[in-house]
Amino acid sequence: MSKQEAIREFLLAFADDEHLMGQQHTEWIGVAPFLEEDLAFSSIGQDELGHAAMLYELVLELDGIEPTDTAVDTLAFGRPSHDYRCCHLVEHETKDWAEALVRHWVYDAFEAMRWHLVAGSSMPKLAAIARKALREEVFHTRHADALLDRLLAAPEARSRLLAALDAVVPMVPGLCEGTAGEAVAVAEGAAAGPTAGLLEPLLVAIDQRFSAAGLDGRSAGSAGVGGPSAGGAANGQRGRTSRSPDFEPLMARMREVLDYDSEAVW
Amino acid sequence: MPRCWTDMDAFEAFIDGGGLVEADDGMPDAYRRAVFAFIEMHANSELMGALTERDWIPKTPGLRHKMAVLAKTQDEIGHGHLLYMIAADLGVKTRTQMLEDLFAGRSRFHNVFHYRAVTWGDQVAIAFLVDAAALISQQAVFKNCSYGPYRRILRRIITEEGFHMRLGEDRMMRIAEGTARQRSMFQESLDRWFWPALQLFGPDSVPDDELLRWRIKSERNEVLRDRWVQRFVPMLQSYGFTVPAPDLRWDTEAERWDVGPIDWGPLERTLAHGGPDSARRIADAADNWSRTAWARAALSNGSSGA
Repeated sequence: MSKQEAIREFLLAFADDEHLMGQQHTEWIGVAPFLEEDLAFSSIGQDELGHAAMLYELVLELDGIEPTDTAVDTLAFGRPSHDYRCCHLVEHETKDWAEALVRHWVYDAFEAMRWHLVAGSSMPKLAAIARKALREEVFHTRHADALLDRLLAAPEARSRLLAALDAVVPMVPGLCEGTAGEAVAVAEGAAAGPTAGLLEPLLVAIDQRFSAAGLDGRSAGSAGVGGPSAGGAANGQRGRTSRSPDFEPLMARMREVLDYDSEAVW
Repeated sequence: MPRCWTDMDAFEAFIDGGGLVEADDGMPDAYRRAVFAFIEMHANSELMGALTERDWIPKTPGLRHKMAVLAKTQDEIGHGHLLYMIAADLGVKTRTQMLEDLFAGRSRFHNVFHYRAVTWGDQVAIAFLVDAAALISQQAVFKNCSYGPYRRILRRIITEEGFHMRLGEDRMMRIAEGTARQRSMFQESLDRWFWPALQLFGPDSVPDDELLRWRIKSERNEVLRDRWVQRFVPMLQSYGFTVPAPDLRWDTEAERWDVGPIDWGPLERTLAHGGPDSARRIADAADNWSRTAWARAALSNGSSGA
């Protein structure tokens, strides 16, 4: 794998995660428990989709393609499934708002760490996107934390959120899994370190967040999470090249209008 | 300083003199209930409109396009949020009571949201035709509304609705200049949405309409409806679409479009929650509301947020 291919894979994983996380947030507009949460999820969803668009533009520039909206959409929606590099956590379909909220917190905690990895990137555009994104992430994290502070203090809500955490935590190693050739991207200065290096600090953060609210000695690591070295082998992502069963129905939904008429501009 | 009026005549003289009523004024109960019902229905319609559109948001074709559609729906829910607050300030129902009444089918929302958006073309038709109809109605209310809090919030709502309508117009133009399949999809959407959008204005205002007398509304339904017809009939035709009104004719004397007789049966059915998608829409909303009751219960010790 060339240096450029390694960097491309690294950026694509980041972009695909942001894209599908934003997509998942769109499913909660109008059906969250409070109007304020409808508004928060739609705002955060827009931020994540915006990050995805900017990261896809960087991928297109590496490919030597002018990053028009059409080119971004072709990259975002038009690849065969094995060419996506998202993790299973963002592919995961849920109808449970507790799970959506826990995933939102976990993803944003991870995302802030990931943006810090590239805030001093040797790619100036990536570093600039990171600075913008980090300003937004403060609000995302603050939002999820403020809500969790109150919900975790109530017995029934806590029990639902901890059950949701049990469903989310097994997907955390996949979230922190790097792409093939990531070491080359790091050596080139695209990122300050490997994505897998975020697993331990993320598990600690999850533990602190949920233990502090009465996890009673259970650690996030006890939910079947392997160490960083377990990587893709533990969760079946195979270096983010394997899709979960939720991916195809999700993509079919996202592509429904695009597939209606491949010649159309909407 | 809250104001009081000795009787309805004194209150109506205040209204006739261009006065603005504020939330803490000692307004007559009939006015309070009328302005509350009007704002509650507006709030409900913003929320149910967002629910109608949400079926298609995840399928929006394009990343930045999806961001724009999300922003639009966020605006709609934001409008609902503001409107529920000023409605609650009138002291007739709390926000939670209004939402529970809505999801139990005990209160009303606009006729158009009793229909289902079955294709992406419907989504565009809603943004184009329905948002424009709503905008025309809201502009007329804003112009001279006697209830101060509503009038101030309408200023913001109208600005944002203008963006929504332009987004819808832009998407409609892309379709008009697009492929035969796109145009055919949108024509079918027009066939479904033209009449419900027109009926949104309601039948002709009755002569003694108290909403007009109290300047809660400022213009008669038929005037607003005609404004929409004169604007959208030629526009749709100029883009090569067929207006689905068999009796449509250009009145050469009056120099205006006449859509012919209007069947108000469909509107009446939606008012009784008997529209084509009323049952599913309300049941889905009620189901979502009940499945997240645990979160509201958890927060109910402080500000309920509901």
